[in-house]
Amino acid sequence: MNPGRLHPLTIATREMAAIFGCLGFGVVMGPELETEHYNFDALNIPADHPSRDMWDTFWVKEKAKERERHLLRTHTSPMQIRWLEKHGAPTRIIVPGKVFRNEATDATHEAQFYQLEGLAVGEGITLAHLKGTLERFSRDYFGEGAKVRLRPSFFPFTEPSVEVDVWFPAQGKWLEVMGAGMVHPKVLENAGVDSKKYQGFAFGLGVERFVMIKYGIPDVRLFHAGDIRFDYAFPKV
Amino acid sequence: MKVSLEWLQKYFDTPLPEAAAVAEAYTFHAFEIEESAGLPAQAGDLLDVKVLPNRAADCLCHRGLARELGAILDWPLTSDPLRTPVSMNDLVGRSLEVQIEDPKKCARYMGALVRGVKIGPSPAWLQEAIEAVGQRSINNVVDATNYVMLNIGQPLHAFDATKMDDCKGEGKYSIVVRGARENEQITTLSGETFTMLEGALLIVDDNCDQPIGIAGVKGGKAAEVSSETTDIIIESANFDGTSVRRTAQALRLHTDASLRFQNRPSPELAAYGMRDVLALVLDIAGGEVVGVVDEYPARPEQHRGVSVSLAKINDVLGSTFSNQDVLNIFNRLDLPVTHEGDTFTIAPPFERTDLVIPEDLIEEVGRIAGYDQIPATELPPPENAPDQSRYQGVERMKDMLVEKGYTEISTQSFAAKGDIELANPLDKSKPALRTSLAENMQEALTRAKLVAPLVLAPGQKVRLFEVGTVFPKSGEYLALQMSVPEPTFGHSEVTDNLTEAKLEDFGRGYESVRATLGAFNQFSVYPFITRDAAYWGEEADDLIRTTGGPLITRIDLFDRFQKEGKTSLAYRLVFQSTERTLTDEEVNAIMEKVYTALRAKGYKIR
Repeated sequence: MNPGRLHPLTIATREMAAIFGCLGFGVVMGPELETEHYNFDALNIPADHPSRDMWDTFWVKEKAKERERHLLRTHTSPMQIRWLEKHGAPTRIIVPGKVFRNEATDATHEAQFYQLEGLAVGEGITLAHLKGTLERFSRDYFGEGAKVRLRPSFFPFTEPSVEVDVWFPAQGKWLEVMGAGMVHPKVLENAGVDSKKYQGFAFGLGVERFVMIKYGIPDVRLFHAGDIRFDYAFPKV
Repeated sequence: MKVSLEWLQKYFDTPLPEAAAVAEAYTFHAFEIEESAGLPAQAGDLLDVKVLPNRAADCLCHRGLARELGAILDWPLTSDPLRTPVSMNDLVGRSLEVQIEDPKKCARYMGALVRGVKIGPSPAWLQEAIEAVGQRSINNVVDATNYVMLNIGQPLHAFDATKMDDCKGEGKYSIVVRGARENEQITTLSGETFTMLEGALLIVDDNCDQPIGIAGVKGGKAAEVSSETTDIIIESANFDGTSVRRTAQALRLHTDASLRFQNRPSPELAAYGMRDVLALVLDIAGGEVVGVVDEYPARPEQHRGVSVSLAKINDVLGSTFSNQDVLNIFNRLDLPVTHEGDTFTIAPPFERTDLVIPEDLIEEVGRIAGYDQIPATELPPPENAPDQSRYQGVERMKDMLVEKGYTEISTQSFAAKGDIELANPLDKSKPALRTSLAENMQEALTRAKLVAPLVLAPGQKVRLFEVGTVFPKSGEYLALQMSVPEPTFGHSEVTDNLTEAKLEDFGRGYESVRATLGAFNQFSVYPFITRDAAYWGEEADDLIRTTGGPLITRIDLFDRFQKEGKTSLAYRLVFQSTERTLTDEEVNAIMEKVYTALRAKGYKIR
């Protein structure tokens, strides 16, 4: 019998899970339907604050009796809180999963896509560890010669926050691939972790974007169209 | 924020480096440069700086960005308008009265009455400065308010006092900042009439109860400055970010002023704005300042200062900065610093509302030094082996299905009907979340059957599966959906609840199959045609391919048998163009060529 094929996202996520597995990261999954608390408030993104504009959100129609507003998670970062609440520190996890953004779709934007969140919290975990981890990851995923560079950025749940560029020797250029930073002490405290004792880094990458860069895919809308021709558009090496 | 290099240059004695170098300085130490403005080198004088949300209180202006650039390049500013003290005490008059209904929504309101201005075009330098950053020059007074806002970040507004009620000729103006009444309306400068949300903040001419502005958003038509205007009231105020944001969102009216107020600039800034705009108006429009009112009911508490130790800085960044490195960076940023032992204490200047916790200072050190100064260090080995068992459980199941001939698909989570509905769907025909994967599976299966000859071997059955989250009333779960049941799974259903399944045990210690893929080949969207070629002879893949040409997208040898010492072979050929729909005639012609080539080899077509 001829075997079938895995979706390219599955293949990519496995590669990432294997690389981070070697670095001591477990894999956890979280809900796609989230509360405003986990998606925003606990991550230091208050209501009516302009930083909320960074995430175009799908809100769920309210039923009168519900006390809290629900939404489709706009990122995998709520799992930082959920996991730290449950597990505490030290910990190292990645969180692959679908996220949603209420924005018009085109070749580089989809209203739903997969993110991979990374979180490492412990004693003495530094921004230099973030850089070292991502450099190792980029080399293992994209190939030897890949390098990482950090630029200033802002996310309410990290401080300092950075934008991460990766150098692709084949194309001879830098591409922006993810946001990252040191977990904001308020986020640790919101999850019940002692921010005096523990610190750590977090990052979030778009899995489709990584796959698009690696294999030269022109349109993100190909991923979730339920079309098997996409699975077979890559020669198996 | 569009920034003119010529404008920035006013803050420095030394000529600035070229645009590309300035853009790079910002990119690696402060803010990204928006690419839509063209490559910096080609856009000439203009940079579009993406000011980050935490710095929008002080950097949505040329002064703020000059301060950043000065820190990055280690260049002093020739002068800093926010470090030059304001003294306007002697200007307080009785010709203007201001009341603030709710200090929570308006921390400060300064108003200045200027009589005898002459409205006209702005001087060339001002027109050019305003137009260089993409704004329209209107007249000298309006341009002056915009210039000061773009220079130091304080939104300002000028009302025509002659259109306001001065208490029946007594020369006493009265402004109240109050919440809108139910269904209260205002017509703005652009001529649009808005119905305000009850309680949304209005600027009102109190003598005649006439709204003259939407606070922090836009001025009203009723007191518009025109060419006949001689007396003006200039507003320099501080409105609450939440209040302005709600109003701007409700009215879908986002302005330069609302953008700045929603980022909560310090109310201290209002005095600097008033000082600068009055100086500019007197200079280019003449007139006399009759009085300035400063209602300041919600003065912010004096900042207590933020402290951080050198050890903490290096602990978070993983760096090896020295006391001198750190001190140098705080000095470059012009942050007042005291240094005692190992500890730095910063008293942030009023405009730096973002500096609150030690980590904020650590970020300043990291970014000004440059993150290229941070080493790349590998994590220490983990204390515990990582747990990936649940994830690997799901992957193990996928591997089993692929082995049984199933191909994985991924589909959209939105559906026409479902138990959970969205308040703001993107696609109105799919306003709900899927309760099962079945519907998408049916659609994908129909399509897969149509395209199967392109991707599957002849005779291979189309079998699909999807793993995805579904959202029934009982709560979301991770579902497995198969297009046909898999008998070896021991049950006849095509769905499974993977959240309930005990996949941890199933996945513990499992290492999922890894595949290496080659570069993506864009598949054609045009229809394809299949033909079978059967003959007595030998395998001839290459011959068929070269004779048939590039329209052959797939060849499968699907039948082979021997009889009386001869071999019969049957190939399935799939033809498809990446540019158009093929006709039967042209495919027939290609097949004729293929047959001719096979016959030339001495093979007999069946």
